[in-house]
Amino acid sequence: MSWFSFHLNDFAVSFLSVLFEGVPFLLLGSIISGFVDVFVSPERMARLLPGRGVGSVFLSGLLGLIFPMCECGSVIVIRRFIRKGLPLSAAVTYMLASPIVSPIVAVSTFAAFRGQNPWIMTCLRLALGYVLAVGAGLVARKAKPESILLPAMLNQNSARRRSGLSVAAAPTQDFSDLAASSSVSQKLLLAVQSATADFLDVAFFLIIGAVVASVFNTAVNQQVILPLATNAPLAIGSMMILRFLLAICSTTDAFIAASFAAFPFAAKLAFLVFGPLFDFKLLFLYGVIFRRRLVLLFGIVMFVLVGLICCRIAGMQFLRI
Amino acid sequence: MNKIFSRWLPCATLAAWSSVLLYFYFSGRIHAFLHPSFRPYVLLAGLAMAVMAMVFLLFPADANCCSAAECGHGLSRVAAGKVLTFLILLLPVTAAAMFSPDNFGKNVMLNRVEITDASSLRSPVAQKNAPPAPVDMPLPTNGADSASAAPASAPAPTANAQPAPPQDYLQRTPDGRIVAEVLDLLYAAQDNALRKDFEGKPVELIGQLMPDTTHNPDGNRFKAVRMFMTCCAADARPVAALVEAGAAPKLPEMSWIKITGTATFPIENGRRIAVLKADKVEKCNPPEETMLY
Repeated sequence: MSWFSFHLNDFAVSFLSVLFEGVPFLLLGSIISGFVDVFVSPERMARLLPGRGVGSVFLSGLLGLIFPMCECGSVIVIRRFIRKGLPLSAAVTYMLASPIVSPIVAVSTFAAFRGQNPWIMTCLRLALGYVLAVGAGLVARKAKPESILLPAMLNQNSARRRSGLSVAAAPTQDFSDLAASSSVSQKLLLAVQSATADFLDVAFFLIIGAVVASVFNTAVNQQVILPLATNAPLAIGSMMILRFLLAICSTTDAFIAASFAAFPFAAKLAFLVFGPLFDFKLLFLYGVIFRRRLVLLFGIVMFVLVGLICCRIAGMQFLRI
Repeated sequence: MNKIFSRWLPCATLAAWSSVLLYFYFSGRIHAFLHPSFRPYVLLAGLAMAVMAMVFLLFPADANCCSAAECGHGLSRVAAGKVLTFLILLLPVTAAAMFSPDNFGKNVMLNRVEITDASSLRSPVAQKNAPPAPVDMPLPTNGADSASAAPASAPAPTANAQPAPPQDYLQRTPDGRIVAEVLDLLYAAQDNALRKDFEGKPVELIGQLMPDTTHNPDGNRFKAVRMFMTCCAADARPVAALVEAGAAPKLPEMSWIKITGTATFPIENGRRIAVLKADKVEKCNPPEETMLY
């Protein structure tokens, strides 16, 4: 039997099922994110952090539990944090941790891995995401801001809202100022707009992810990829590369990962931890704030670190699931 | 032009997605795509999107997202790119919703690693790493433990209760045959207690017809296959019970068939397997829930 045989009907069934499973969680994440965007100002979030000590780095890693933000949103939010005087180390930690250490991601990961040890997967994902984000924050604490940030970031006074896949025109007014000066009813309207913009941005990537996963799941003979899936380092590396290319949102990537039934637990974990830290869209988004060479170095370091940790996890007997 | 991208196209996209979700939920087609525990979320998401679409319809809303200067996606910078973005958001979903069947075809059955014994219900990687399974799983066979091995619908034994005659938790046809699913037979092959409920008993089973090439030395066996879903159709895997008959039914592959016969559990190649010895095989309609959960 051939290794690849594509049938449109089978593809459509798989594609729709991934979307039906993931879209409610994506929408929930977008709505919460939209309301946080409008009703919680960056100044208020910055006030929650304790000073400039090491403690602020550790606490920033947990801020996503209260103010969840997807990876696209968090990159731009920290621009304002830095301008408001938040320590760079705390801002970097929040940026990296909030797309993983978040209640929406915890719920969606748990739901997606139903029947595949959901507790272990959810706890490991959040714990690894937190540790890596705090580690990066501690490294940033030792570095000079001018060696990390783009020169424009150190001087620039203008502020835009956030980035992502825009489906609309550029705003003419800063979004945070607009939200701050609005009435409650206007804020509700803005929150719906913000949630819609987030949803449409990320749904685009979810569709591409669902297409790739569905082609893989229906057209590729699983017997053929079994040697790749059963070799832990190869499986882990290939799943991280796939996640980098797919660039899907952390609120829904668990549904894509869980559908790769042939791959081991550790490879799916690598997919879920590495992706929100560094993927194709983040490569560009990080470049808006950080020096490009540093961004590339960060990506390589994260790839190696997540790969090594997951290879170690793959060797644990109780996790051979 | 900007209003189209910032108001009307987001509104149309939300309305289209909402319609698809609500249509699949209320028509019952969602059963073929999602595990029951995920279905209410589809209804909630469909309703929420309808409300959001109404906001865009009724108010001068504006899904402004980001400045092109900050955006890492070239698509957002030109009108053609934005149109393409909306086409990707709209077309695949609506096309798939309109033309998708509610079942996988033969191709998926062949591409996915088929399960013919219950120990294989884990991932292929776990199977490779697992130690070889014994012919019979060492499960206790006393009364109390056999109740725990029974399906969830079986009543739980109460403390200090007088021993009562075992209740028949199995569903039966009016003429007394056990209505079994493929998974029941696979589990029974591995579980001493459960096997007693099925072995040598008349059984009725529904599945999709597929030829058997691995356990068929005399050429008189075929398979009754169902898809077993954990979360959604994308993760579903085929589970198959072997059927032995005088002659294979002259029906196309993937036809839904009802088999009446006797459940047997012979040991072949060092493993105990489930083989349904058929008295009658007939074409039937698909069951209400085509997937097993």
